[in-house]
Amino acid sequence: MDRPGTTAKFVGARVRRVEDPRLLTGRATFVDDVRMPNALALAFVRSPYAHARIVSIETEAARSAPGVRAVLTSPEVEKLIPPLRMEHRSSFPAPPCRSVEWPVLARGKARFVGEAVVAVVAADRALAEDGAAAVEIEWEELEPAVDPERARESGAPLVHEEWPDNVFQKVEFAAGDIEAAFSGADLVVSERFRTGRHMALPMEGRGIVASFDPASGMLTVWASTQMPHVLRAEIARVLGCAENSVRVIATDVGGGFGLKSHVFPEELLAAALARELGRPVEWIEDRREHLIASQHAKDQIVRGELAVARDGTILGLRAHITCDIGAYTEYPWRTFEANVTAMAMPGPYKIPAYAYTTVSVATNKCSIGAYRGVGQPIGVFVMERLIDIAAGRLGIDRVAMRLDNMIPRHEHPYTTITGDQIESGSHRECLQKAVAMMADDRPLQASGAVRRGVGFASYIEMTAPSAMVWQTLGPPGSGSEPAMVRMETDGSVTVALGTNSQGQSHETVFAQVAADVLGLDPANVRVIQGDTAATPRGWFAGGSRVAVVSGGAVIRAAQKVRDKILRAASRMTELPAAELDIRGGAICRASDGAPLAELRDIAEAVWIGRAGLPTEEDQSLEFIARYEPPPMTHSNACHAAEVEVDMDTGIVKVVRYAVVEDCGTILNPMIVDGQIQGGVAQGVGSALYEEVVYDENGQILTGTLMDYMPPTAPDVPRVEIAHIETPSPFTVGGIKGMGEGGAIAPPAAIANAVADALRDLSPRVTQIPLTPERVLAIIEGKSR
Amino acid sequence: MSTPGFHQRIRFSINGRIVEREVPVRQTLADFIRDALGLTATRLGCEHGVCGACTVIVDGASVRACLMLAVQADGAEVRTVEGLAQDDELSPLQKAFLDHHALQCGFCTSGFLMTATDLAAHGAGSNETEIREALSGNLCRCTGYANLVDAIAAVLKEQAAKRE
Amino acid sequence: MKPPNFLYARPDTLEDALRLLSEHGTGAKLLAGGQSLVPMLNLRMAEPKLLIDMNRVAELSGIERENGKLRIGALTRHRALETSREAAQAEPMIARAAREIGHLAIRNRGTIGGSIAHADPSAEWPLLAVALDARVELRSTARTRTVAAREFFTGPFTTAAGADEILTAVEFPCAPQQSGFGFQELCRRPGDFAIVAAAGRVRMRDGRCIGATLAIGGADATPRHIAEIDRIVAGSRGEDAVVREAAAAAARVLDPSGDIHASAEYRRKMAAVLVTRALREAFASVAANS
Ligand SMILES: Cc1cc2nc3c(=O)[nH]c(=O)nc-3n(C[C@H](O)[C@H](O)[C@H](O)COP(=O)(O)OP(=O)(O)OC[C@H]3O[C@@H](n4cnc5c(N)ncnc54)[C@H](O)[C@@H]3O)c2cc1C
Ligand code: FES
Ligand code: FES
Repeated sequence: MDRPGTTAKFVGARVRRVEDPRLLTGRATFVDDVRMPNALALAFVRSPYAHARIVSIETEAARSAPGVRAVLTSPEVEKLIPPLRMEHRSSFPAPPCRSVEWPVLARGKARFVGEAVVAVVAADRALAEDGAAAVEIEWEELEPAVDPERARESGAPLVHEEWPDNVFQKVEFAAGDIEAAFSGADLVVSERFRTGRHMALPMEGRGIVASFDPASGMLTVWASTQMPHVLRAEIARVLGCAENSVRVIATDVGGGFGLKSHVFPEELLAAALARELGRPVEWIEDRREHLIASQHAKDQIVRGELAVARDGTILGLRAHITCDIGAYTEYPWRTFEANVTAMAMPGPYKIPAYAYTTVSVATNKCSIGAYRGVGQPIGVFVMERLIDIAAGRLGIDRVAMRLDNMIPRHEHPYTTITGDQIESGSHRECLQKAVAMMADDRPLQASGAVRRGVGFASYIEMTAPSAMVWQTLGPPGSGSEPAMVRMETDGSVTVALGTNSQGQSHETVFAQVAADVLGLDPANVRVIQGDTAATPRGWFAGGSRVAVVSGGAVIRAAQKVRDKILRAASRMTELPAAELDIRGGAICRASDGAPLAELRDIAEAVWIGRAGLPTEEDQSLEFIARYEPPPMTHSNACHAAEVEVDMDTGIVKVVRYAVVEDCGTILNPMIVDGQIQGGVAQGVGSALYEEVVYDENGQILTGTLMDYMPPTAPDVPRVEIAHIETPSPFTVGGIKGMGEGGAIAPPAAIANAVADALRDLSPRVTQIPLTPERVLAIIEGKSR
Repeated sequence: MSTPGFHQRIRFSINGRIVEREVPVRQTLADFIRDALGLTATRLGCEHGVCGACTVIVDGASVRACLMLAVQADGAEVRTVEGLAQDDELSPLQKAFLDHHALQCGFCTSGFLMTATDLAAHGAGSNETEIREALSGNLCRCTGYANLVDAIAAVLKEQAAKRE
Repeated sequence: MKPPNFLYARPDTLEDALRLLSEHGTGAKLLAGGQSLVPMLNLRMAEPKLLIDMNRVAELSGIERENGKLRIGALTRHRALETSREAAQAEPMIARAAREIGHLAIRNRGTIGGSIAHADPSAEWPLLAVALDARVELRSTARTRTVAAREFFTGPFTTAAGADEILTAVEFPCAPQQSGFGFQELCRRPGDFAIVAAAGRVRMRDGRCIGATLAIGGADATPRHIAEIDRIVAGSRGEDAVVREAAAAAARVLDPSGDIHASAEYRRKMAAVLVTRALREAFASVAANS
C-alpha cells in the first residue's frame, strides 16, 4: 500500500473547513452572484404539453417587447448548435443503446412538459419573461406515452417516431445455473416493486453566465456544474471552436448530487448566444424550470425474485427492471440507471446464480439522470426487501439470514456473480454493530394505534468507477484524475485539482492530504479547483470518486514534491535524503526531529537553480500526477431504521437511525459524518416524502416546492454513526469513496422497518415513497 | 397618497446604511438587494416562499425576501448576512456554524443564519424539537440538518446562560 | 420566475384603499401579507394591473375584545395572533391554530384577513372561522356589511366578497366558560398545509355537553361546519360510541376531492379520524380544566 511519507497527522482529524468563512459571510461566488456589466438574461418558453406538434410560433410581439434583444426558435438555434447526440465512442464493448437527437429547442414537436421551445434574450430576466409571455404557439396535441409498461406495448405512441418502439436499451445478463437454482429452491419470493420518480434538487439550480471577448477570442463561462472540464470540451465542440479558447469557472456550486454531472441544452445555448450577440448572457434557472425540466431520477418497476433453501441460503436471484427514462437520455451519457440497479442487487451477499433483464423505456416526461447513488438505492431496496420477506416466510431470523449469506472478511478480494471484484469489506461486522446499536429494552410494539418497527439494510457502495465502467455506461471519460502540487518559493503549497466541489469540502480535505505528505500545516496549503484555466484537465465529481481518485493524485504529486525537496535538502545539508524529514514546515533530521533548514530556503534554492540538483533536471517544485484506481472501489455499510407507524393515518415517522459504515481510510471524520447525515436525509426523502408526479396526460403536477416535498429539519432523524475502517489494499492511501452511501440504504431500511411494524398483517411494502395513503392501504390490506 | 406607478423612490436602511433608490415596483426585495445593492449573500432558492434561502430580517422579524416587494421595504430596517460579522469577526452564530460543520455547499446557509438570528433575538429556547420546528421553513439539501440544529442550539443555550 | 408588470399604490387609509379598488375594479388586487399573492405573482399565475398595498393602513390591524367578541383587524399577522395574550385569553384555539400556519417567516408576514380572503380550503383561519361561527366584516365605498364565515366561503379560493370589497376584520366569539377545544391537523411535514384538519369546541355542564361545534378543513370545497355532529354530540358525555357516530357523520356528509397530496377517499377517511381526535381532545381538555 502506497502511504503518505510521514505519519498521518491531519488525515483522519476533524479539521475545520476552509470553505466556511466565505460562505458564512456571504462572499462566495455562486453563478448567480457573477455580475457582468451589460449582461443579457435568457428565458425560455416551455412546452405546456407532454407530446404535441408545433403548428406555428408567433414571435413578433415578443421581438418588439421592451428590452428584448433576441427571440430564437429551433431553426435559428440549429444554425448555432446542432442537436445533442450521445454516440458510443468507447473502446470497451458496451450493450447497444439507441442514440437520440436532443434538439436544443424543440423541433417539430415537444416531447415533455417543460421542454424548451423558444428562447428569449432581454436586458434582464423579468423582461425576458415578459417577452416569453408574448410568444404565441399553436399546438396540435398528440397522444403521449406516459406509463412505461404501456409505452412498450405495440401501438403505443412513439416518443421518437423514427424508432420502431419506445425502447432505448434492453440488456440481458445471466450467470450461474439460474434454472437449477429456482427449480431446486425451497422457497421462491417474487414481488413487484415500484419506486417513485425522485430528483436531486440541489438548493442552487442550474445556471450559467457566459462572456465572450472578441479581442482574445476567449469565451469565459461561469457555470453551476460538477464537470467544468467536460462542459468546456462540450461547449467547444458544439461551437466549433478550439477547447483552449473556452474557460469554465465553477468554484462555488450550491449542491449537485449528480444532477450537475450533465451538460444541458440551455447551458450550451447561453454560451453560443454570448458569442453570437457579443454581450454576456446569463441563464439562471428558476425553481419551476428545475422541477419540470432539469433532470429527474430513479423511476423503476422491478420484478425481483429470490430463490432460497429452507435454511435461508440464497440460491439464485432474478430481476426484471423497467426504467422510465423520459424523452431523452441524459447527456453526455447513455442511460444507465437500470443497469446500476441490476449491478447493485447482489450487494454483500454470495449469489451463486443471477439473471436480469433491464429495459429502459422512452416516455413523454423529463429525462432521468444521475442522482446520488444512481440505481443503487433501488437495487438495495429490492434486495433487502426480498431478504426480509424470505426470512419472514421461512420463519428464520432476518439478521441471521443476512449474516449467513454475506461475503466473509477472509474471502476478499471476492469476485461477485457480476464479475465485480470486492477488494475488502466488513459486511458482517457492520450488520452486527448496527444490530447492537439498535438494541434497547423497549418492547417492539406490534399492536395499538402507533406501532414501532425496526429495519436493516446492508449494501456495498460501488465507488470510483474506472474508465472501463464509465465508458461502457457512455461518457467519453476516464477513471483517472490529475492533481498539480506546487511548493512556492516561500514554502507554501498550491494544489490544483481536476475536479470541483459542490459542498464536499475538497479545499479542506485535500489540504489535509497534501499537508501530511509535505509535513506542513493545512493552513499553508491552498487548494484550487473548478477553474479550467487554473487546474489540470480532469473529468468530474461524481460516482463517489473524488476522494479516491483526486486523493490518490494529490498524494502522488505531493510525494514527488517531497522527494525533490528532500533531495535538494540532502545536497545542502550533506545528509542522505533518507535521514531527512519535513516537519512543521522545516527540514529536520528524521531520527530526532532536530531542525536543519527552513523549508522556504530549500524551496527558493530549487526554484532559482541553486539547490545543486542535476542541471538537466527541471528546476522546479511543481508536479502533476494522475491517478487511476482499480476498476472500482467498494465501501460497505449497514443502515438501521426505527419507525413509528400511525395505524389510523398511515403516517410514518423515523424515530431512530443508525449507520455503521466502512469507507477504508477516513480523511476527515467530521466531513464523512456530514456526508452520511446529509445522504440519509435525502434517502428519507426518497423513502417517505419525495415524488415527481405526472398525470395520465403526462402533465406534471409537482411544479413547485409546495408539491415536491424534500424533508425538512423535523422530518430527518439524527443519525447515530459508527465506523469500521478496512482500507482498500488496492488504492493509494487505502481510500474508498463514500459520498453517495448515505442516500443508498434509507428506502430499504425504512421500508423494512415499516414492514416489521406491520408484520402480523402480511404487509406488502413494495413501493416508495411510503406516503401516508400508501401505508394506510398496506394496513388495510389493499395494496394491490 | 402617491399615485400608482411602475417605479417608486424608496429609502430604507440596510445593515445600518441608508439607501435611497428608485425601484421598479414589481421587483422583489430579494432581487433588489442582490441586483441593485450587490449584496448577494441573500440567495434565491425557489422564489415562491418555500425554501427560506432568501430569509432576511425586516424590522426585527425574519421574512422571505422573495415574497416582499422592494417598495414595501420603504422606511424599514433590513438586515442581511452581510450585516452579521463585525469588522470581519464572525458573529457567534457564524462561528457556531463553522464549529459544528453546519454547512456543506453553503447555498442555504444565509437563510438559516437569518432564521436563527430571529430565534436568538426573540429568546427562543434551545429545546431540539422546538428548534427543528422553527427551522422547518428552511430547506437544506446537503447537511441533513443535525449539525445546523446543534450549532443553533449551542448559541441559544449560551445566550440563555448569559441572560440568567 | 419574476412578477409581471403592474402598477402599485400604497394608500395610508382605508378610505383611499377602497376608492382605488372601486376605481380599478377587477384589474386591481389587494396586497396584504403577500404570502399567497406574491408566489402567484412570481409564478405569473396572477397578473393584476394594479396592486393596492394595504400594509400601511394602520386601522386594519389590531386585536380588540369587546362584548364577548374578539375583533381582529384584517392586517393582523399570524405571528401576532400566535403570541397575543389578549387573543389567547379570549379564545385559546387562536394561538393554537396560528402556530400551525406555515413557518416562522411566513407567520411574520401573512395576515388573517389575507388568509380568509384567499379561502384555501385547507387553511387554518378559514377553518377556525367556520368552526367558531365567526363573522367577517366587509367594506366597500358604498357600505359595510358582515357575513357569517359559514356563508362567506363559497368554494375553493372563492368567497362572497365582492370585487369592490375589502375584508376589514374578523370577529370571533370568546370561548365560553366550562368548555374545551380540540384542534387536529394531519400534515406530512410540519408547516405544510393540512391534508385534513378538524377544529371544535364543546361546552359542558355537569359532565354533559350542552353545546358543540365542529368543522373540518381540507375535505370539501370549503371548510365545513357539520351541524349533524353538533347534534350528535350535544347531550353526551363524549362516550366512544358518540364520537364514533360523529366521525361516521363527517365521512358521510363531506364531499372531498383528490389532489396529489391525497385522494378523495383518503381525505374522507382522515376526516373521520380527525373528528374523533378533535372531539376526544375537546372533551379531555374540559375535564382537565375543571
Ligand atoms: C411556504 C408557505 C407555507 C404556507 N403554509 C400555510 C399553512 O400551513 N396554512 C395556511 O393557512 N397558510 C399557509 N400559507 C399561506 C399564508 O398563510 C398566507 O399568509 C395566507 O394564505 C394569505 O395571507 P396574506 O396576508 O399573505 O395575503 P396575500 O398573499 O397578500 O393575499 C392573498 C389573497 O387575498 C386577497 N386579500 C388579502 N387581504 C385581503 C383583504 N383584507 N380583503 C380582501 N382581499 C384580500 C389578496 O388580494 C389575494 O388575492 C403558506 C404560505 C407559504 C408561502
Ligand atoms: S427564495 Fe424565498 S423562500 Fe425560497
Ligand atoms: S449546505 Fe447545501 S443546501 Fe444546505
